[in-house]
Amino acid sequence: MEEQMAKIDLSNISHTYNPLDPKPTYALNPFSMTWENGKRYAILGPSGCGKTTMLNIVSGLVRPSKGEILFDETPVTDLKTEDRNIAQVFQFPVIYNTMTVYDNLAFPLRCREFTKEKIEERVKAVSDTLNLSSFLNSPARKLTADQKQLISLGRGLVREDVAAVLMDEPLTVIDPDLKFRLRRNLKEINEQYKTTLVYVTHDQNEAMTFAENIIVMDQGEIVQVGLPKDLFEKPKTTFVGYFIGSPAMNIFQSTVSSDHEVKINDTTIKTNSNLGNLKDKNVKLGIRSEFIELAEREKSNTVKIKLTRVEDFGNFKLLTGKMGDLVIKSKVEREKPIPDGELNLYFPPEKCCVYSDEKLV
Amino acid sequence: MSKLYTFLKYFFITFWTVFVVAPFLWAVSTSFKDFQSVNSKVTYIPWLDFEPTLEGWRVLIKSPAKGGVDIVEPYFNSIFVTCTASLISIVLGTLAAYALSRFTFKAGFVRNNDITFFFISQRIMPPIVLSIPFFIFLSTIGLLDSLLGLVVVYIVLLMPIAVWIMVDFFNRVPKELDETALIDGCNPYQAFYKVVLPNSIPGLIVAGMFCIIFGWIDFFFAFILTFTEVQLLPVKVVALNSSITPWWSLSASALVSVAPLIIVAFIVERYLSKGNLSGALK
Repeated sequence: MEEQMAKIDLSNISHTYNPLDPKPTYALNPFSMTWENGKRYAILGPSGCGKTTMLNIVSGLVRPSKGEILFDETPVTDLKTEDRNIAQVFQFPVIYNTMTVYDNLAFPLRCREFTKEKIEERVKAVSDTLNLSSFLNSPARKLTADQKQLISLGRGLVREDVAAVLMDEPLTVIDPDLKFRLRRNLKEINEQYKTTLVYVTHDQNEAMTFAENIIVMDQGEIVQVGLPKDLFEKPKTTFVGYFIGSPAMNIFQSTVSSDHEVKINDTTIKTNSNLGNLKDKNVKLGIRSEFIELAEREKSNTVKIKLTRVEDFGNFKLLTGKMGDLVIKSKVEREKPIPDGELNLYFPPEKCCVYSDEKLV
Repeated sequence: MSKLYTFLKYFFITFWTVFVVAPFLWAVSTSFKDFQSVNSKVTYIPWLDFEPTLEGWRVLIKSPAKGGVDIVEPYFNSIFVTCTASLISIVLGTLAAYALSRFTFKAGFVRNNDITFFFISQRIMPPIVLSIPFFIFLSTIGLLDSLLGLVVVYIVLLMPIAVWIMVDFFNRVPKELDETALIDGCNPYQAFYKVVLPNSIPGLIVAGMFCIIFGWIDFFFAFILTFTEVQLLPVKVVALNSSITPWWSLSASALVSVAPLIIVAFIVERYLSKGNLSGALK
């Protein structure tokens, strides 16, 4: 079969659901992005931030108010969904109740008039991958919710020629163990068939483990696109810092005191950021709880805190302390002895991120 | 406590069963009586209490010339009018309902819900309000006292029921189902008849059942819009009555009139109890 996978370009796309309004609110603010052929992408963001709208625009269920979509440089903005060669899996299983599992899986191929032998071969391959082989002749409605979701997934994967498989939080209804296995399966499918996979989720762990590239969205805006490592270590905005990582990034109000230093309350913290033109301005200092270290004694770049809580998570301890009215969280190794009362925490300068107007300096 | 509950439960079920079935039994027994057995003392059991006769039933198929009333033709008329009008109402109503469920319509202040309400508001009016316009309308287009005219009127009466039931049903069929079908490669029409429609069979059956019931039992319009050429069953049954009430033939005609509905009820009940009413998504 001819390979039809495509590079997907979203060029200046924006969308509003109330275009006739004189002051429309935008579900998606103008953005441009390219999805490379054969890569795995995760779109991450809180509910209602425009993730699903973006998928629907790519699959053609929604026509963008402005902008253009190109598959391999060919504009498809006005192409109908059924002609677009996109597979989409929704959050809740959508199955054809009146058909058997086999007919469900074969449906996309039948609609596209594949030969009987080809259909049989593909359905068999997909049902093997998804552990559905023993149910092929059962009515689809008799299956459990997670099996039904596997069928939805299977209908997306059964076509070898899709430009991309779009998944809208597809594993919500599936139990954790199977979820883990399925994510691995999806990765394997991606590596084997080089199908572009786009995965919408609000679960950062899912996004981090699944995707090569993560797109973080907030309020119809693409906030950051990058590798999991970048998002974790250098969040471009305070929102990404809050949203990615557990616990969220520590973020403190501070004032710039010199070219590389900020002041939190009365403690001076050195950073690697160049703050020359922000002198005396109010900024925010962000640091991951993973990067804060316990210090034996007061030295440069340490802050003194009053320990308020220690939580044991099994593989690490989470310390919560207060410096004045600021709350600081730090992850430390489980074995480390924690002194009572006051302790010093060290902020490595290279791990400190400074945010001016919520954006990374 | 649970014993009392069980007792009450069975008591009420028994009571209700008797309440529903007794009139039928009364009608069955009466239909085999003659003038003598009806008008003398109270009798119940054939052969013991009275001598059964088929006279009440024979009258129904005898031609008027031989002293009968002949409900055979009105019977088939009723079947034809009810089935045709129901079928057309279901087809048109389902299409309208699908559109109302899936697309957003705007015309001034009118929205989808207003259109749905407009359909059902046709049934809120008392039939008598509609009778004169219908009469004038049918006489203008020359369909008064004809089967086709009745079919037209019944479509007007039945389609709101079909639209109302199907809008509600389609609203419960998630739109992701249509979208999935589009993504899988159907065009919108294929998505409708290959995917949405098969999933809506329980709704179609319920709507169909209501259409058949309301079409079959209508007396008012059948009475007003027909005279001599065409007669429907309810009108003919009422016409059976005369100065001496023929309880035997009235009972027999009542039984044959409800028979189709009982058959429909049995078919529908079987289908619905298969559990097909549950939605496509869970």
